[in-house]
Amino acid sequence: MPISRIHSYLVHPSKNEKKPPVIGGIQIPHSGKLFGMLAKIDNSALSECDIDIVFRPKANGKQENDCRDLMLAYLAKPSLPLGRAIALRLQGVTTKRSGLGLLFLIAGQDQHGLRLLISRFPAETGVMAEEHGQTINVEFVEKVFMKSARSYKSALFRCTSIQAGFWDGLVVDRQMIDTRGSADYWTREFLDSNLKNTAAAGTKRVAVALQEALRATTDPVVRQELINASQLMPGRHGQITSAKKIVQDLSLTPSAAEAVESAFVRPELYDSTFKFDRKEFDACLLFRSVELDNGVVLTAENTSFGDVIHEERPSQGSKTRFTTEGNIVSERLRKSR
Amino acid sequence: MTNRLGDVYRRRYEKILVPIASNLEKFLEEYLHGRPRIDRISVRAKTPTSFLKKAMKEEHGKREYDDPLGEIQDQIGARVIVFYTSDVRPTSQRLRRYFRHIEMSNKEPKSEKEFGYFGKHFILALPDDVIPKRIKLTEAPKVFELQVRTLFQHAWSEAEHDLGYKPRRKLTKMEKRKFAFTAAQSWGADRIFQDLHDVLKKRGK
Repeated sequence: MPISRIHSYLVHPSKNEKKPPVIGGIQIPHSGKLFGMLAKIDNSALSECDIDIVFRPKANGKQENDCRDLMLAYLAKPSLPLGRAIALRLQGVTTKRSGLGLLFLIAGQDQHGLRLLISRFPAETGVMAEEHGQTINVEFVEKVFMKSARSYKSALFRCTSIQAGFWDGLVVDRQMIDTRGSADYWTREFLDSNLKNTAAAGTKRVAVALQEALRATTDPVVRQELINASQLMPGRHGQITSAKKIVQDLSLTPSAAEAVESAFVRPELYDSTFKFDRKEFDACLLFRSVELDNGVVLTAENTSFGDVIHEERPSQGSKTRFTTEGNIVSERLRKSR
Repeated sequence: MTNRLGDVYRRRYEKILVPIASNLEKFLEEYLHGRPRIDRISVRAKTPTSFLKKAMKEEHGKREYDDPLGEIQDQIGARVIVFYTSDVRPTSQRLRRYFRHIEMSNKEPKSEKEFGYFGKHFILALPDDVIPKRIKLTEAPKVFELQVRTLFQHAWSEAEHDLGYKPRRKLTKMEKRKFAFTAAQSWGADRIFQDLHDVLKKRGK
């Protein structure tokens, strides 16, 4: 896709600093190895940035967002000073823990219109080795910027025109899934955005898919696996995750994973990121019911079903014996199950 | 330009917006399930006529929208009609649990001496769940408009829209006063029903 401008800025950690350092920046020429590498990153951005975000409106509810304004201003007329304003914003939220970073702003176009890719490469230290005949020179180097698999961050925004602008975007934040703190720095503080999925919506979607997968499967082994998974899922409360990640973390078999994946109304939703909300999950899948062919229905809370109802499979035959004990607190006659 | 835009939008309306609107309605019903005193939930795709009229709108001799397909945010519009004014807040809160908003506003007349339209409006991010599989995510609108109103706010606004929003001539002072009067009556009815609801609910406890 045609790239119109690339600017780069060195961003020092300056959160809460009274006198932040001046930000150095440069326009990257459209040739050479660096351009080649950045063009490659730009090309793969759509598949790499896989977390949907939405800019936050002002506290009074108005459809305004300072970060979005900076980005649209830059995209309308990409220049070193307008890009520096974005770098300044990043500098203002960068802590010493996040460290020094090299920021790239890549403005261009694709088949849908305008696009802006923002990437931050963290500073690393390393050793440089150069060959000199039969000997080598080794040297310790600082300020090496790498597209680190551990902490590389990027954000992609696309719009049909500057007038229409964008309210949503895609990010990749290598630290986000593992440590929730990073999400605050890149997504919430710098981009002033939220995950597009609210915790409730993302959790409900997974619970509904799980329910659908349970309903659709005819394989008793897969069914049992999904039930076990549903009992373990509430333990993910507060984690930033996706259905795909949960399935991977719980090491579900390929058949069970496929049952879950195919239960989503769109394939993209299987790997859609959200913050797990136990309350919402329990509200969707609070009870587990087992119906037997003799007309008996056993119901208990999903998370404690196995603790209060004991299940036995005698070695002979296909029947299952369930046993439970407790004090009777109510007894009802009902029209339906 | 009008013809081309009209053709593009008509195709978008039939193939993309109408199916999404239908899915969104079911989605909202599911999310609001169990909330008491919701009279109705409806979602519509903006008709081609209505879209073109908005797209061609001018202010000070200049078109309001340079990129109407990208800029007009109510191509899909949803309404949730609740019984009483006290139902607006919890219903809105429930919706905010499930949707990200990029705008939230309480629509009301500017002056406290005026009566007119009241309602809570949102511009919300359209969830991917409501976009049928055959439609690419990039083809769908990114946002939709949602209004939460009481029965009386809705009744007044519908009648006012029909009679007063697109008049063929300027309204006379008396006609404007009559609209304001009906708005005040609706506002009053909302207040009285709310009071009755509060009192009777307390007595029922």
